[in-house]
Amino acid sequence: MSEHSPNTTAHDKPAVELQDVTKEYVGAETVTALADVSLQVVAGEFLAVVGPSGSGKSTMLNLLGLLDVPTSGVVRLDGEDVTALTERELTDARREYIGFVFQDFHLLPTLTAAENVALPTAFAGEAQTDRAVDLLRRVGLGDRLEHTPDALSGGQKQRVAIARGLINEPAVLLADEPTGNLDRETGTQILGEIQQICERGVAVVAVTHDELVTEYADRTIRLVDGQLGEGDDGFAT
Amino acid sequence: MDSPRDRPRPVPGSRAARSDDRSTAEIRTDGGAEPDSAMSGSLWQFPAVALAWQNLRRNRLRSLLAALGICIGVFVIVVLGVFGTVLQLSASEELGGIGNQVIVSPSAETETDALTSRQLQDIERSAANRGTVVPLYSDNAFTVSGSESTPTQVYGIDRPAELFEGEDEPLPVQHRGGALVGASVADTLDLQLGSAVEVDSETYRVVGVMAPGEDITPVQPDNAIVLAEREFTGEYDQAVIVADSPEDATETAAEIRDRLNVRVEEVDVFELSEILETIAEFFTLLNRFLIALGSVSLIVAGVSIFNLMLMSTAERRGEIGVMRAVGIHRSDVLKVLLVEAALLGAVGGLFGALFSGIAALLLWVATPITLDLVLVWQNAAYLVGGLFFGSVVALVSGAYPAWQAAKERPVEALRG
Repeated sequence: MSEHSPNTTAHDKPAVELQDVTKEYVGAETVTALADVSLQVVAGEFLAVVGPSGSGKSTMLNLLGLLDVPTSGVVRLDGEDVTALTERELTDARREYIGFVFQDFHLLPTLTAAENVALPTAFAGEAQTDRAVDLLRRVGLGDRLEHTPDALSGGQKQRVAIARGLINEPAVLLADEPTGNLDRETGTQILGEIQQICERGVAVVAVTHDELVTEYADRTIRLVDGQLGEGDDGFAT
Repeated sequence: MDSPRDRPRPVPGSRAARSDDRSTAEIRTDGGAEPDSAMSGSLWQFPAVALAWQNLRRNRLRSLLAALGICIGVFVIVVLGVFGTVLQLSASEELGGIGNQVIVSPSAETETDALTSRQLQDIERSAANRGTVVPLYSDNAFTVSGSESTPTQVYGIDRPAELFEGEDEPLPVQHRGGALVGASVADTLDLQLGSAVEVDSETYRVVGVMAPGEDITPVQPDNAIVLAEREFTGEYDQAVIVADSPEDATETAAEIRDRLNVRVEEVDVFELSEILETIAEFFTLLNRFLIALGSVSLIVAGVSIFNLMLMSTAERRGEIGVMRAVGIHRSDVLKVLLVEAALLGAVGGLFGALFSGIAALLLWVATPITLDLVLVWQNAAYLVGGLFFGSVVALVSGAYPAWQAAKERPVEALRG
């Protein structure tokens, strides 16, 4: 686990932070998905978020990933308040600082593994094709570069998704049920990959129902009904 | 190893230019092999086009059918336009001669049946620098050869070559004697050069056979005999002005009316170019009407593309959400989707233009239409215009579904 030095510098600020964040959905009745949640994740930390269905895990992940905006509270990225950014600025911030690994992988079926990994860089200047190849080789898919997703196993797809999440050298990698669609052995391998990512200083937040993930995580917090569970502290120790 | 935490990070949205720092990219290559070069170029030089093309290939049949709709619409419009143009130009060519002629004859109001010298002088002044005046005598008679006879129009013309053409030999510049026979007369009475014909009890030797008339004009050679002027007496019955152009014909006719019909209508001025203009206007109107009808098929194709894009973007909602989530801007997603629609229109339009070009060439091959009537700038304009219009229809049809899909919030799109 990483130490949170009291003599913090700008570079030691939490990679991502929620401060008193509340998210409500207004419909026929108002649903509070997150209630006054504060959370910090520092660089190199692997945080697991567990909780029953409907507890607000996905909402938290969406807020951390700037896919959604809180009803109240502040979201910080590398110490900077990003709550009030414009849509375009949020998109840029996601590309530059955040990587996503989705439960269903969400790979584009028409692209090869290497093209899927390089996709986030396609429209932002020069596509990082060489880096995409390097990342795939690092996750053991050097012989699957030209394969499309339908020719990959679940574990291989997840590795491609992880590589895609890392293409822009993010500060934070957000994983939604990273082992959800995998068998135990493959899940273990994926978690090993994630640990190596943390060792390189990337903060990883994984939402999961899988107890195996918590065994690999530096810290686990529990969400219940939109709030941190009793005894859970949103701050790294 | 230099981790992201150690490297300075600017504020979000203002990232500094990246140097080629690969310190975080530990390369554990297999035997030190170079990065695969298969991905360089192609897809990433024009990502919107490449992604759009690949998306269309996912459901080839559906894309093909949508493009086929545009192809048919463009084909219909271009073919109608080309055929209409060819028809109009062909008709103009057939009728073109008459546009240059003005026929002046005594008005029924004057109770005279001949043009006076003064009137002829005024006519010649009106036609000065605009064309040639050919005064002529006109009568009807039976032409007899041997035991055969046939009713004919008899003209007395001093310079028949100004009005008619010879079938095998040029007609005499000045007709001094003998008879020039029309093609139908020669055929009916079996006449050749040197044959004898009798007109009004006078016998003449055939000195020339006139070619069949190709223009529509009241003064036709086919069923006529042309004699020298000295065979007639009195004033001329008519004057034909062969103008240099239809515009000159119109101006000449107007001036003749100004000179001769001021107080009393002395002459009837028959200006054939007016008929030609009316015919041209009719063809233009018909062409536009048919093209408008044909446009309906293109609109139907546009509706098909609208439907295809709606279905396609709905099916790919999650993918679009992922693209937005990983940092691709709304405008770039919109670009990809618009390029999809534009590609359908461009491909369909291209084939539509190609097939209609082939149809135009078949028109030349299978009909008496000459190639110069097909290879005109108007037809090229229809080809290019049809292709452009097809692309625009496809683009406009795809715009709304593309916009709807691109503007959706990624968190909503990812929920599926």
